Amino acid sequence: MTMFHFFNCAILTFGPHAVYYSATPLSEYDTLGTSIKAAVVYLITALVKLVCLATFLNVSESDSFDPYQELLKALIGFVDVAGLYFALTQLTHRNISQYHKFQAVGLGWAFADSVLHRLAPLWVGARGLEFTWDYIFQGLEANANLVLSLSLAALGSLMWLRKNKPKTLIPIIYVCAGIVATMPSITSYLRRGLGWHLTKIVGFELFTSLVMAFISWQLFAACQKPSN
Amino acid sequence: MANSPKKVQNPKPSSVLIDPVYSSMITLLILVMACIEICDAVTVVDVYRLVQYDIGGVPFGSRLASLNHHAGSSFFSSSSGAAADLSRTVLILPVRELNLTFIKEYITHRKPLGGLLLLLPPAFSLNSESVGGAHHDSAKDLMKEVLVELEQLLIHANTPVSETITFFGFNRLHLHLFMSDVESRIKFSINPIMYLLMEYICFRYKLVVAVPEPKKVASPTIANIQGWLPGLKADGDSNQLPTIAIVASYDTFGAAPALSVGSDSNGSGVVALLEIARLFSILYSNPKTRGRYNLLFGLTSGGPYNYNGTYKWLRSLDQRQRETIDYAICLNSVGSFNNDLWIHVSKPPENAYIKQIFEGLSNVAEELGLKVGLKHKKINISNTRVAWEHEQFSRLRVTAATLSELSVAPELLQNTGGLSDNRHFVDEALISRSVKLVAESLARHIYDLKGKDINIFADNSSLAVNPSYIRSWLDLLSRTPRVAPFLSKTDPIIMALKKELADHTIEVNVQQEVLDGMFTFYDSTTGRLHIYQVASVTFDLLLLLVLGSYLIVLFSFLVITTRGLDDLISLFRRPPSRKVKTA
Repeated sequence: MTMFHFFNCAILTFGPHAVYYSATPLSEYDTLGTSIKAAVVYLITALVKLVCLATFLNVSESDSFDPYQELLKALIGFVDVAGLYFALTQLTHRNISQYHKFQAVGLGWAFADSVLHRLAPLWVGARGLEFTWDYIFQGLEANANLVLSLSLAALGSLMWLRKNKPKTLIPIIYVCAGIVATMPSITSYLRRGLGWHLTKIVGFELFTSLVMAFISWQLFAACQKPSN
Repeated sequence: MANSPKKVQNPKPSSVLIDPVYSSMITLLILVMACIEICDAVTVVDVYRLVQYDIGGVPFGSRLASLNHHAGSSFFSSSSGAAADLSRTVLILPVRELNLTFIKEYITHRKPLGGLLLLLPPAFSLNSESVGGAHHDSAKDLMKEVLVELEQLLIHANTPVSETITFFGFNRLHLHLFMSDVESRIKFSINPIMYLLMEYICFRYKLVVAVPEPKKVASPTIANIQGWLPGLKADGDSNQLPTIAIVASYDTFGAAPALSVGSDSNGSGVVALLEIARLFSILYSNPKTRGRYNLLFGLTSGGPYNYNGTYKWLRSLDQRQRETIDYAICLNSVGSFNNDLWIHVSKPPENAYIKQIFEGLSNVAEELGLKVGLKHKKINISNTRVAWEHEQFSRLRVTAATLSELSVAPELLQNTGGLSDNRHFVDEALISRSVKLVAESLARHIYDLKGKDINIFADNSSLAVNPSYIRSWLDLLSRTPRVAPFLSKTDPIIMALKKELADHTIEVNVQQEVLDGMFTFYDSTTGRLHIYQVASVTFDLLLLLVLGSYLIVLFSFLVITTRGLDDLISLFRRPPSRKVKTA
């Protein structure tokens, strides 16, 4: 019965990635290689972040919110953005349109993130006899993370891959990218500083990810028009 | 269900901190068994299994050991819930609100019950604050009566209870929350629709106790500790000095062997014996004050089992030594009385020796403000039941008497220091008075001070009864369960008693014997109870359904937005169109 629960949580956490890949034209254009390369870049980025965190951050005993530490964490979070930049621009991809490139990169990025952060707790925890809602919330977080990664990849591709953009939209793009990049810090602030309950945080994450996705979609569509 | 299931406080892995004062309601932090298993239970509680034993092959007490059932509350013990089937439920009943008739019914009507968890008030735990018995409050007395009755019921229960597993635990704060949760759920589920919801969709509590399979205790040992204090032999006197024996049995028996500390039965007797030994060792250390009597102190085991230890000890004594025993005084429960003590004898009261003993004791008792009565009970040689320790002496024709606060001879396995016999119900001041009574009367006999108005063990003298000595030994004994079959040969308490007697006497011997074959015991007396909050299979299926539909919706949404609605429809139309093509 508890393997059943593990299975449920696993399909909640990893299912959307597979569904996204198969539902969108990504599967037709065989962009799996891009996704895998993006996943590998994510792993390297995570390693770099870990080293930076270990070097610069001092672990505090209490669970309270320390602004200085959080600021450091946010700065290190920008390493994420650098990694994404690398994945989008520097890697050689097969000849796929930008439209699909950012999706593939975002998908690979989010999948690697889910596996790295959520598979181990799921395997260890969800198979036990005791039932908690935690793993279902974790799955929902993974979904929100997927949407956020896709929006970040979209904005990234707009920033670095598209040469001619309407002048008015550029600052908006950068602002949105900044918000999405700092989303982890915002959620940790909400959890620790304001002490929000887990359900509220997950709801917030889902809501903001949808909002940001919508905004980036509109921006992308807006930028698409002049270049055709 | 509208409300999400309440999570009982998750224990953090930290050190054990046991709450000494129940009234201040400090939460208990429990040590998580992190090294061996990942303990993901909501709560982990120490539980103690009902004793399992055989008398002459007839099984008593709890037979099974492991538990893996759903939780039920005391609601089922009331009339409206009585009809429910409880064969796969564990009933959790706090002793405070126990309905004894319900348990009696279950035993007599042999109804199936998955398990029984009785929750004792934390005040009865071994590590609770040691408050003297002076603070008698009626609630505690009532609780004591209930516990005594419950214990007798469970100990003597035959097969029906043995098919369920009975455990004792302590009613701490987080268990309160857990139980009120269980209670409210059960009350909620009276309505059949709600019952279905509860049963299949919502979360239930599962109680798991994993206890190793109980094995017979191979050869239960009883250890008798004796201390010898020789008297002053006059020069040129070839005759043996007479001996006076002071005996007390130190082991206990109860419904939960790991909780049977027996503060009064017979912790008080043991403490009194040690104090008397200490006082006389001071007197005998100086040859000028050494009496013309040898003193033999005996701490015997096997008390609840017809004083089997005393029987074996007496037979191991050299016959000549045994013949020098003038008389023996046995101490049994002298810690909680109301100015009334009894001397139980088996020889007729007209006997000269008995009269002498009784007069000596009652004279001193008068001075101390106590009343001592004499009770005579004839021994029936054919009856194997030995109700008092002095009867073992009397069977070997040694004059003996038992000093006790009990007026009636206890039945087999009654008054043996079980669950209800706790530190709270013993008053160390009363033990001091008993010590004074016995010591003074002994001294007057030894030093031939009859009629003289001398108080040897007067207060504020160097021979005064030491209350802190009594208190510290009483506290130690009240923390140590002493059921003989579960004590190893070199158990710390036996070693401690031996060392203490060695301090006060010249020669100490420990005699190890095997308990007679009539009683057989089984181990596995403690365990850990894990309370899990589990979701039923139906919940998982529902969740699977929800997730499946979510993924399908997501899939369709993505296909429609990226490839268009036609593509979605074409996904379903492809097989027929292919068939058309090939045809």
